[in-house]
Amino acid sequence: MRTYAPADAATVMSRLLAEPSLARGVVHHAVLPPHAADYAPMSTWLDERIVAGLASRGIHQLYTHQAEAIEAVHRGEDVVVVTPTASGKTLCYALPTLQAIAQDPAARALFLFPTKALGQDQVTEFGALAASAGLSIVTSTYDGDTPAPIRSAIRTAGQVVVTNPDMLHAAILPHHTKWFQLFEQLRIIVIDELHTYRGVFGGHVANVLRRLLRICAHYGSRPIIVCCSATIGNPAELASTLTGRGVRLVDRNGAPAGERHVLLVDPPVVEPASGARGSAVTLAQRWALPFLRAGRQTIVFGRSRVAVELLLTGLRESLREGHGPRTRIRGYRGGYLPTERRAIERGLRDGEILGVVATNALELGVDIGRLDVAVLAGYPGSVAATWQQFGRAGRRQGTSVAVLVASGAPVDQYVIHHPEFLLEGTPEEARLDPDNLHVLLAHLRAATFELPFEPGEIFGPGPADDLLAFLGEDGHVRQADDGRWYWSSENFPASEISLRTAAPENVVIIDTSLDRPRVLGEVDLFSAQVLVHERAIYLHESIQYYVDRLAWGERKAYVHRVDVDHYTYANRAVTLKPLEIFAEAQATGGQRVHGEVMVASLVTLFKKLKFLTDENVGWGPIDLPELELQTTAYWLTAERARDHWRRNELDIALVGVGRAIQTIASVLLMGDPRDLGLVTQVRSPHAEQPTIYLYESVPGGIGLAERLWQRHDELIDGAADLIAACGCVGGCPSCTGPRLEPGVDARGLALRLLGELGARVPAAAAGQRG
Amino acid sequence: MTIVTTAPTDLARRLERFRAARADPGGADDPLPHRRIAAAELAERLATTLDGEVVETRTGRFVRVEGRSTELPVDRARLAGLPGHPPSDRPLVCLDTETTGLATAAGTVAFLIGLGWWDGPAFRQVQLLLPDHGEEAALLDELARHLPPDAWLVTYNGRGFDWPLLVTRYRLARRAAPVHDGHLDLLPVVRRVFRHRMDDARLRTVERTLLGVIRHDDVDGWEIPGRYLGFLRGGPAQPLAAVVRHNDEDVRSLARLIVMLDAGYASADGRRSAPSGDLAGLARAFVRARRPEAALACLDEVLARDEEREPVSEWVTPDAGQASADEDPDGNSGAVPWWSPRARPHFGGRPRPAADRVVGWDRRLAAATPWDRQRIATDRAHLLRRLGRTSDAEQAWAALAVGPGRTAIVASIELAKLHEHKLGRPDLALGSALRGRALAERRRQLGMPEPALEADLRSRLVRLRRRTAGSTLG
Repeated sequence: MRTYAPADAATVMSRLLAEPSLARGVVHHAVLPPHAADYAPMSTWLDERIVAGLASRGIHQLYTHQAEAIEAVHRGEDVVVVTPTASGKTLCYALPTLQAIAQDPAARALFLFPTKALGQDQVTEFGALAASAGLSIVTSTYDGDTPAPIRSAIRTAGQVVVTNPDMLHAAILPHHTKWFQLFEQLRIIVIDELHTYRGVFGGHVANVLRRLLRICAHYGSRPIIVCCSATIGNPAELASTLTGRGVRLVDRNGAPAGERHVLLVDPPVVEPASGARGSAVTLAQRWALPFLRAGRQTIVFGRSRVAVELLLTGLRESLREGHGPRTRIRGYRGGYLPTERRAIERGLRDGEILGVVATNALELGVDIGRLDVAVLAGYPGSVAATWQQFGRAGRRQGTSVAVLVASGAPVDQYVIHHPEFLLEGTPEEARLDPDNLHVLLAHLRAATFELPFEPGEIFGPGPADDLLAFLGEDGHVRQADDGRWYWSSENFPASEISLRTAAPENVVIIDTSLDRPRVLGEVDLFSAQVLVHERAIYLHESIQYYVDRLAWGERKAYVHRVDVDHYTYANRAVTLKPLEIFAEAQATGGQRVHGEVMVASLVTLFKKLKFLTDENVGWGPIDLPELELQTTAYWLTAERARDHWRRNELDIALVGVGRAIQTIASVLLMGDPRDLGLVTQVRSPHAEQPTIYLYESVPGGIGLAERLWQRHDELIDGAADLIAACGCVGGCPSCTGPRLEPGVDARGLALRLLGELGARVPAAAAGQRG
Repeated sequence: MTIVTTAPTDLARRLERFRAARADPGGADDPLPHRRIAAAELAERLATTLDGEVVETRTGRFVRVEGRSTELPVDRARLAGLPGHPPSDRPLVCLDTETTGLATAAGTVAFLIGLGWWDGPAFRQVQLLLPDHGEEAALLDELARHLPPDAWLVTYNGRGFDWPLLVTRYRLARRAAPVHDGHLDLLPVVRRVFRHRMDDARLRTVERTLLGVIRHDDVDGWEIPGRYLGFLRGGPAQPLAAVVRHNDEDVRSLARLIVMLDAGYASADGRRSAPSGDLAGLARAFVRARRPEAALACLDEVLARDEEREPVSEWVTPDAGQASADEDPDGNSGAVPWWSPRARPHFGGRPRPAADRVVGWDRRLAAATPWDRQRIATDRAHLLRRLGRTSDAEQAWAALAVGPGRTAIVASIELAKLHEHKLGRPDLALGSALRGRALAERRRQLGMPEPALEADLRSRLVRLRRRTAGSTLG
């Protein structure tokens, strides 16, 4: 099959579906019909310069969702606009901002984007809109890359300040007196990519916004908030939780779309005995290659940094063999430096770059235009994220193709074999807990630093006095004679908080191959344990680096370039100890518990694995300190099973059930499976019972464990359902996890245990479901 | 099914658990529990311990400590001749604050403001103290009364720290910061003039090296916030006595430094006995102030000196790799010399961890070499060219071009520039550039490459060859 000639996406797809070896794996093929645009007339109150500017760009009417949003803002309501990727959401906040400044040039606006890269694009786009309206508006990006002399100019003269929550938190709010011109005249706050503000990050950002609105009130302004979100289950609730205000929901999308095909693909079982499936990464490459060769802009998503680098290497190799456009394939992920990322974004927009391999860094709405094809190597972990990645492929006219290649992971298997879950189900709800005590107290400290608290002043859930008194115990705040609470420490509290991570520090990776050392990127502490330990092979832009030295105390890893045929994989060992029980209840066969635990993560050795074959070619020790995590967990005990099970069988059954429950949990909740860790104990030191723990991988938790505790019965039933419906013999990575011992029926043991725990679905009837 | 739930929602209980579980590693420096104390009591205790008086105003109360008066005569007309120094008719107000932290952000409070001014030849001082957070308005109003609108502030690092911090305080108190006519920050002056013979830029080092003052029992800068915050929490006021003394000395040192600059550097007479390196630095300060003639006078003064009488390199050589080692903002490890504008000024604080040392040859270290005659002559040659004295400049560069080291390469390039652009002699320029390249190559072989200079020479040679070839043909 010769596939180098340019062809459209539909042609390439039908050719691929005619290929038996590929077609066999397609478990579902959905076609989403095209739909036409819904228009609304231009609002009459809009400044005529703005209307003329839009007309000059060919915009004579608005999509319905755009009109609805700007009318609401015009009435003074806070709004959240929910739209799929690239449906013209920029106008929803750009028009109110332009209008405000057109009416009063002193007016200011603050645009918040979760990452720097997004901010850059918006400055460009907003600037173009303003220019076409003939308004000269000073729009400036204020982020970590902004040079010092420009910073002070932005403070005094920036009419639209584009920044991210981290800068707002650490550089703007603590220095609000230098920004008084902004805060006095702030009319509009734009919060883009609202759906990314969930979990710990969301909890932090909610508190940063509390601080922001508090400062605004101090300077006498009351800005309107405009949020934009990708499709999630609870946008209005999320916006309200995040901003602390009632927010109007605008979610009727009026933008047009072309025909889209969605293919769900399962890699073949390569080893029936173990149930091991072919690699999603390899299969994703096979699906992506023909599209690339046919000249179709294609984006391939890998789930991890390592997957991205493997995909990139693989695609480049294949295209070199076939003399394809090898150099036009680029990698894109979190660890790249801003300049690299910007060059890639530009290349995608102007067509210079044909293919991109990305982690979820591109899940955010970076403006790369629309591509023809999206291939996902592995389920991204949530329905919402899947649709966002699918949404990267989708032209207004013409056909686009989205392919989800499942991995052998249980969640993936569950999702692609229940296509209705992905195609018709409600996207997950974004959860965050702005009142997590760790988070709340940290930001209360920062807020006190910024402005003293009046007695009885509300912060978050209620008057802050009790919390302030608590902080007063170790002397960081004090109540003065005038009754107000003041910051009374020499520390700078904002610098002690990192919004992104539970652990506040990152490890910087330094390349020493060149004359002068160069910073390659950064990784967080937990990832650093497994990625840049000494003697690890660290991949960056498909270049291999050998880690010479990890200076843990200095948070620096020194690497140099190498060329080897293997990669490294570090084993993380986790131990868990319950600290306190918040709630417990009787369940069938045991107890279900919600409580606080201490989790210790220790990485002690790594393996060297050959590329492609994953053959083990050596190992080495890792000497790094243990990282501790205090968090919330849900656990269940199997008291009845304690006495009449054989110990080794119980062990296997607990692991199998735990894996299945973990899978169901991440499907039921807003789920990145990595948000939940699993530990099983045949005889827990705590209760002396067989126990399965699911802990939140975030200090203090974000409320997942409590939800799991409440939904215990669904978890048990779902786990039984998952395992029973699996077609394997004796357990496989897709249901009970990789087999621990050959010849043992892990699947049967797990189902037996689930039966004792009260699972509703009997094993025999399980095949009916779905 | 029975459900047994222990209610986890109650805030008090959540806090209790939080408290119990928290393994507070760093924690507060001072574990004194919080206790609310009357502002009047705090003020009284401060005043009693520090021998000051409580002043009650409409907006609150502050504590005033009268300082002693010192004879420190200054010739203001003469002082005005120094670059960046105030005109002689402006009153000077020396100002130094003690604060609750090093950030100039909203939560840092200036709790002690030391002020000093001249009353004839007498230098008079007063200190204003904040007895409680809630009394800040009174303190700020009092400070404003001490700052007439035509006054010049005299500070040490006040442009970057004390004054912005005070502006923040005024804004938080919803007041306009007092207007003043000018601000003489002595830190950049010290950096420019004296950097070649100091290890760091701390005021205490200035005192020791330049003023001959050595403090005894002085409080370390990093201890100061803790002493005040401890007092606010109900701790003793006594530890603040040392802070008040420290601030008093700081303000007086500002005046001493002014006197020393006035006497030793503001007039040609005074400069005759000044160390050569100081004058080279002063010349650069004059250049920055766009007074090249004055700068040239300083350099001529130095170069006219008998080398035997005063070898310039007798001064302590600052180890640029060691001083105030800071991280590059781009994350490269390496030392920024303390006097570089990129370095965070080191004026106390806890000792910082030393950054990784640069091993081997580093061009940045070359720029940190102490003043020697060659470097001074280089500055002079630059200056001559800037003044348009082309033939003098040519002579000066020619002398340097036969000298040693990197300077000879620079001089060759400068000669080539002069020949090509000012004198219209590309042929001579080509000769100079070729000599420069030979020198650069030799230096590369010695393991001290100069990539920037070599790149300059490469493009220069290409152009000069083209030009000379053209003129020969034409």
